[in-house]
Amino acid sequence: MLEITSGPRRFALALSVAVALCASCTAQQPVDQVVQSANKFLETLSEAKRSKVVYDFNDNAQRSKWSNFPTGFVPRGGISLKELSASEKAAALDLMKTVLSSRGYEKVTQIRMADDDFKTNGSKRGPRGGGPPPGGGPPPNGPGGPPPFGAGGPSRNGGPGGRPPQFGSDNMFGSDLYYISFLGKPSTTSPWMLQFGGHHLALNITIVGSKGIMTPSLTGAQPAVFKVDGKTIRPLGRESDEALTLLQSLDAKQRSQAVLSYKVADLVLGPGQDGKQISPEGLQVSAMNDKQKTLLLQVISEWAGIMNDSMASARMAQLKSELNDTWFAWSGATDLQVGTNINAYYRIQGPHLVIEYAPQSDEPTNHVHTIYRDPTNDYGQGAIEK
Amino acid sequence: MKKWLITTMLLGLASLPAWGHRLDEYLQATIFSIEPGSVQATMRLVPGVAIAPAVIAMIDSNHDGVLSIEEQHRYAEGVLADLQLEEDGSRLSLNLTSATFSSIELMKQGNGEIELTFSAEQSVSRGEHLLTFANRHQSDISVYLVNSLVPEDKGLLLGKQIRNQNQSLYQVTLTETLGAPSQGFTLSGFDGAFRLGAHHIAQGTDHLLFLLTLLLPAPLLAFRGRWSGRATIRRSLTHILGIVTAFTLGHSLTLALSALGLFHLPGRPVEVLIAVSILVSALHAMRPIFPGRESIIAAFFGLIHGLAFASALNELGLTGWYRLVSLLGFNIGIEAMQLVVVSMTLPALLVLSCTERYSVLRMTGATFACVASCAWIAERVCDRANSIGYAIETLAHHGALLCVGLWICSAVAWMGCRHVPVVSNELALTIELIDR
Repeated sequence: MLEITSGPRRFALALSVAVALCASCTAQQPVDQVVQSANKFLETLSEAKRSKVVYDFNDNAQRSKWSNFPTGFVPRGGISLKELSASEKAAALDLMKTVLSSRGYEKVTQIRMADDDFKTNGSKRGPRGGGPPPGGGPPPNGPGGPPPFGAGGPSRNGGPGGRPPQFGSDNMFGSDLYYISFLGKPSTTSPWMLQFGGHHLALNITIVGSKGIMTPSLTGAQPAVFKVDGKTIRPLGRESDEALTLLQSLDAKQRSQAVLSYKVADLVLGPGQDGKQISPEGLQVSAMNDKQKTLLLQVISEWAGIMNDSMASARMAQLKSELNDTWFAWSGATDLQVGTNINAYYRIQGPHLVIEYAPQSDEPTNHVHTIYRDPTNDYGQGAIEK
Repeated sequence: MKKWLITTMLLGLASLPAWGHRLDEYLQATIFSIEPGSVQATMRLVPGVAIAPAVIAMIDSNHDGVLSIEEQHRYAEGVLADLQLEEDGSRLSLNLTSATFSSIELMKQGNGEIELTFSAEQSVSRGEHLLTFANRHQSDISVYLVNSLVPEDKGLLLGKQIRNQNQSLYQVTLTETLGAPSQGFTLSGFDGAFRLGAHHIAQGTDHLLFLLTLLLPAPLLAFRGRWSGRATIRRSLTHILGIVTAFTLGHSLTLALSALGLFHLPGRPVEVLIAVSILVSALHAMRPIFPGRESIIAAFFGLIHGLAFASALNELGLTGWYRLVSLLGFNIGIEAMQLVVVSMTLPALLVLSCTERYSVLRMTGATFACVASCAWIAERVCDRANSIGYAIETLAHHGALLCVGLWICSAVAWMGCRHVPVVSNELALTIELIDR
């Protein structure tokens, strides 16, 4: 009799311990947290808004609909932060905080802040440099003159000859013009995708099981250095500083290999150039010492480490194991100072990695585009096929 | 004129708000894809917002605000003319394979781009080669990028890449380590070449048009300089078989000789002659020029078509045994596809030829072939595309539809039209004798 009752009891105890253990384990799994906050965000939305945000997982048009351009020129899919209520927006940003590491989230925030600054101050270049946004003035060009901006764009102000969109106009620049979209349903088992992007930002995050794949993604900034409340902000400042530190650590022979003799005017593998593996150039990392390798990994982590730490660590381990087959190339000035943005281009390339940092010709130290790729694993395709 | 335009545009820049993207530069980014025997390239041309109007004006030559297919093609060919690709110092000819243009509106926003793809034949010998690329297109406003993809063929190694400061000049060393016996005799080589051959004839509108036009009067008998009377099915079939075989023998011979490197003719005269061959067979389909001797003509022009096939095969760039296997695969691929096309159309032709309406089809077909061949001759002599050529290419893409149409016509004619009596074989022989 005693044995009969104690059997189920013991079983129940064991079961509850097991459940508690599992629960505590799984609750700590980052992918669960990501799925949770994704669902939480989706639940805050009305049916109409949700249908705007969620695409089919196989929607390749939406998958590749990213760019460095302002959203007024290249419309993104999904819904912008601007269209969300305060609580919806908080849930969206909570989701981004969960998916990204704290420094990744900070980078995204600063890129958005840069667009706010651009909206207010415009470009520092040219006759309007640093001045207030143009507006109210007569159209700068008559018939046959230079093209009107925004012809066909959403901010067209109309009128014969056209007028440029104004920097103060609400639908061209600003930290709320960043769009969030899903491809497929958030899941811990089947693949799905989260996109977040706008001007100078495109994060394409494919979640496959517990893996988080952030290739291809794009970061950028203009201004790449600005002040908010007296504090200097450089959204991609570490990308600049850490790469320069690495370059400065190279000896003369290494440097002669790393520094290319020609100018690189822009990203070679920017938006639309998926799956391309170009012939590597520069200095092969196998010729670097351990200290230099550590510095290089630090630079790489500025992209790979945008993802939350648990997902980034798998990627970093992969890239570390291929370090000797990785190349570092630099084009442009070398006599630069850490702490100010470089006006040089650099590229880090390995069997599963392309990173490019490309200052833009209009304002080289204040306008930069970067790309982060794995040509064998665009949008997690490699991981999904496995 | 162009310079004047650009200067005006650049002056206009002063009144433009700098919104922070490529402004006064014309970015031209080329990525080469080099495989043994073939060089392909993708070139993206991105005009900055300040120079977009000048670039658009170059493309839109009639200034109607629309980039017509013809204007796009002309501009693309113009870009190619500003490029120079050399292998070991000898210039390779570039063939435009595609041209995609953004809308004028996007370009005006500084947000459009042009994508061109082109290919070139490269020599196939082993060892080290130096590929040199120069881009002189709009050098006063352009910035250049050039790169090469890692070859998929592990036997081909890309060595050092050298560029001048602005990347308008690019050199890369290729080391071809092919020729290891293990890479020689493979079925995959045959398979690939077979598909290339089949693809080539399926896409080669001119080859097919020549053959089909030559077959048009095949079921008929010539008498006193006119097509009249129809031969028995058996006689027609024998005749057709003779023509197809002669064409095959002709092009196989020159394909083999040329592919094995025994002789080589420049591509353009060959292309022109092919267009001429179509014209000749079209005229023959209207009025008999060489009745009874179609097989000889087919064999003769087959020799010329074979030379064009050889240049397609050379794109594979192969050596030794591998080349021989591919040659076989390629030729069999051509024959197979040719057979497919003939067997798809021939029954309908034969059925139609039994009716009095056949002359309508024969004359329509012959006129079409006439127009097409003249357009091609003009295109190939002047090295400049024309709109008729484009229309024909577009039409050819709907080959299956045309074939279905032919079948429907033949069925309708069979049921609705008077049938023409057959001329017996003895009478046909007599007619031939009299006619000679």
